[in-house]
Amino acid sequence: MDFKLGDKEQTLVNSIAEFAREELPLNWIGTRLIDQECPDFEFEVFMSRRLAQKGWLVMSWPKEYGGQGASHLEQTVYEMEISYWGIPGAGMGISGTQWVGPILMMLGTEGQKRKYLPLIASGGRDGYWCTGYSEPSAGSDLASMQTRAVRQGDHYVINGQKVWTSSAHNARWCWLMTKTDANATKKHRGLTLFIVDMKSLGITVRPLPNYYGRHHFNEVFFDDVKVPAENLVGEENRGWYHLMQALAFERRSLGPMMAGSFRRLLENIIQHCKETQYEGKPLSENTIIRHRLAEMAIDVEVLKMFAFQFTWRLTQGAVPVYEASRNKVTSDEIMRRFATSAADILGAYSQADPDSTLAKIKGRIQGAYLGFPGNMIAAGTSEVEKSIIAQFKLGLPKSY
Amino acid sequence: MDYSLSEQQEMLKKSARDFLSSESPKSLVRQMATDEKGFPPQLYRKMADLGWLGLNFPEKYGGTGASFLDLAVLLEEIGRACLPGPFFTSTVLAGMTILKLGSDSQRHELLPQIASGQTVITLATTEPESGYNPDKLKTKASTEGTNYLITGTKIMAPYAHVANFLICTAKTTTGITLFLVDSNTPGIKLTPLKTIASDKQFEVVFNKVKVPKKNILGKEGKGQAQLQQVLLKAAVAKCAEMVGGAQQVLEMTVDYVKERKQFGVPVGSFQAVQHHCANMLTDIDTSRFLTYQAAWKISEGLPFAKDASMAKAWVSDAYKRVTKLGHQCIGGVSLIEDHDMPLFSKRAKAAELTLGDSDYHRELVAQGLSL
Repeated sequence: MDFKLGDKEQTLVNSIAEFAREELPLNWIGTRLIDQECPDFEFEVFMSRRLAQKGWLVMSWPKEYGGQGASHLEQTVYEMEISYWGIPGAGMGISGTQWVGPILMMLGTEGQKRKYLPLIASGGRDGYWCTGYSEPSAGSDLASMQTRAVRQGDHYVINGQKVWTSSAHNARWCWLMTKTDANATKKHRGLTLFIVDMKSLGITVRPLPNYYGRHHFNEVFFDDVKVPAENLVGEENRGWYHLMQALAFERRSLGPMMAGSFRRLLENIIQHCKETQYEGKPLSENTIIRHRLAEMAIDVEVLKMFAFQFTWRLTQGAVPVYEASRNKVTSDEIMRRFATSAADILGAYSQADPDSTLAKIKGRIQGAYLGFPGNMIAAGTSEVEKSIIAQFKLGLPKSY
Repeated sequence: MDYSLSEQQEMLKKSARDFLSSESPKSLVRQMATDEKGFPPQLYRKMADLGWLGLNFPEKYGGTGASFLDLAVLLEEIGRACLPGPFFTSTVLAGMTILKLGSDSQRHELLPQIASGQTVITLATTEPESGYNPDKLKTKASTEGTNYLITGTKIMAPYAHVANFLICTAKTTTGITLFLVDSNTPGIKLTPLKTIASDKQFEVVFNKVKVPKKNILGKEGKGQAQLQQVLLKAAVAKCAEMVGGAQQVLEMTVDYVKERKQFGVPVGSFQAVQHHCANMLTDIDTSRFLTYQAAWKISEGLPFAKDASMAKAWVSDAYKRVTKLGHQCIGGVSLIEDHDMPLFSKRAKAAELTLGDSDYHRELVAQGLSL
């Protein structure tokens, strides 16, 4: 066993710290904890480019696609540190860097690789993606989706509706899952993945403000949208299996991001407790608060260890199916516990809107508090993840 | 970064599992609960032959010279087997205390005896009113010529009835001092305590017990700080034992819910049951990583105090949660006296209280955060 970082990773930690101090504005409020959302899109794109120029944006990709062939461990450390500092722009929407790029490298045609990978790798606005999976009647039972793609000559015609489409209003491309075979013996076997230009005729993006008044989600409507056949990703009717791979990539990246974000938030709240007087002494001297902070510190340690263990499994050539779900459900639980405890510590101030002048710690805790219910649902609900753990790791019978 | 055991550790794990499943089956564990001694001496001798009783002692003290991480690997198997006997108190607690605080002659004299199983040493440091904090202890040692006279009451001293020596804490004029007390000294009275895990804990009353000055362990008056480090390491060792127990509970539970049918199907096909099992697994992974990170730091000679307390704070709660879910999934049959499940749920409670419960360690974590 060995739990320490190597020199290479330690150097990366230091370089990102230096970068953050130089590049981020004074009093930068950071990304919101939910989906690493940045309140200023122009600045987000600017930072994507800066990350690309540093060679970090797609560091784990091979050199031929604009990456540096960095190790899984370096990639993990990068994600942790980017999240720790609240540097926006790393995702290239939802999400160019984390799953669109890696899946295209695995399954894409030469043409797709040549066209889309450089767009993502360069950090430009045209490398921003949104992901169209969920539909009004297809949430956890995603394979029952109804958005249809029908082949007509050299293109497909797409009709239907997606929902909860994060960042669709900023994305140039949609990573879209559709139904292509309505008569498939099993619904999972009739799905196909497409790349859709968000500038196509027939696409309507309608904002779906969330329950704390932020524009993050959208509904996206497809009315006779023509998509060239060359935009089909992987194999026709094999989309479900490609999606499982993409979701594994998505669930992987959550661990390091959460670990970094919450390490920072813990430092913030400890500082707050030292500086805030309550009943004549600093909050940090209150036994109950001390125990809550200790619990939070343990949770942050756990997030870090889970993220690194997952990464270590990848370096062993494993396909960590259950670990992806374990990390996802653990991140969600910890976010819930952490946000709830931190809000309790803030007391009356925890009801302040994250953007209000009343907000403590730049609204980060309210961001986490308002954001955690969404995290427990996005990319697989906690219940779905637990069922995956039970079936794939513990060998229990399929339950749905 | 490497989350795997070395080849040697894997071998130790496998041989320990094989040995313990044949030598310490659960029927024996249950039988030992009502046995006066509480463990079969011939089993203890076999453990000595395997080199376990001095596993982490240097070879010059009759030990095997293994690392703390190796010890954690063995303890995980011991926890899985619910192995009865004084291994933890004699080899881990007393052994590490003597290794850390003992003079060279004390080490040379005592450690080989512990390693051979010829001598059992236990710790008698907890008092009715002291909690885990030795500041509050009341036992006193006063000088009388070249001797000390110790008077006071200790509780929860494991296997004191088979111990040849007791390591006891007492207040002297300069502070808290550790004494090595021959258990045959007049004035010592043992009373067995009826504890839920039937783990042979004793009340030890010292009434003017005469101890020669040369039997002080470590520096006079400095016992508390010196002991603290040892107890933190021992807490990590206890966590390893707990992780092994929790792992066994999960395996036992999963095996059962695959077989047990209700409504015509295995109960393990119900999501409520599946999610309990998934929660158990996640709790165990968490416990294992925190424990092994702390154990690794100890092995590497790195600062480990905060990691040790993080592990003990978490694992103390997690092992209880795992056993509660185990009972819930297995159902009524798990409440029967001869079922294996209660062996673990009782030990989870006992282990939680050993070497600092989660509240105690959360406070230490808070201090480690410079709060």
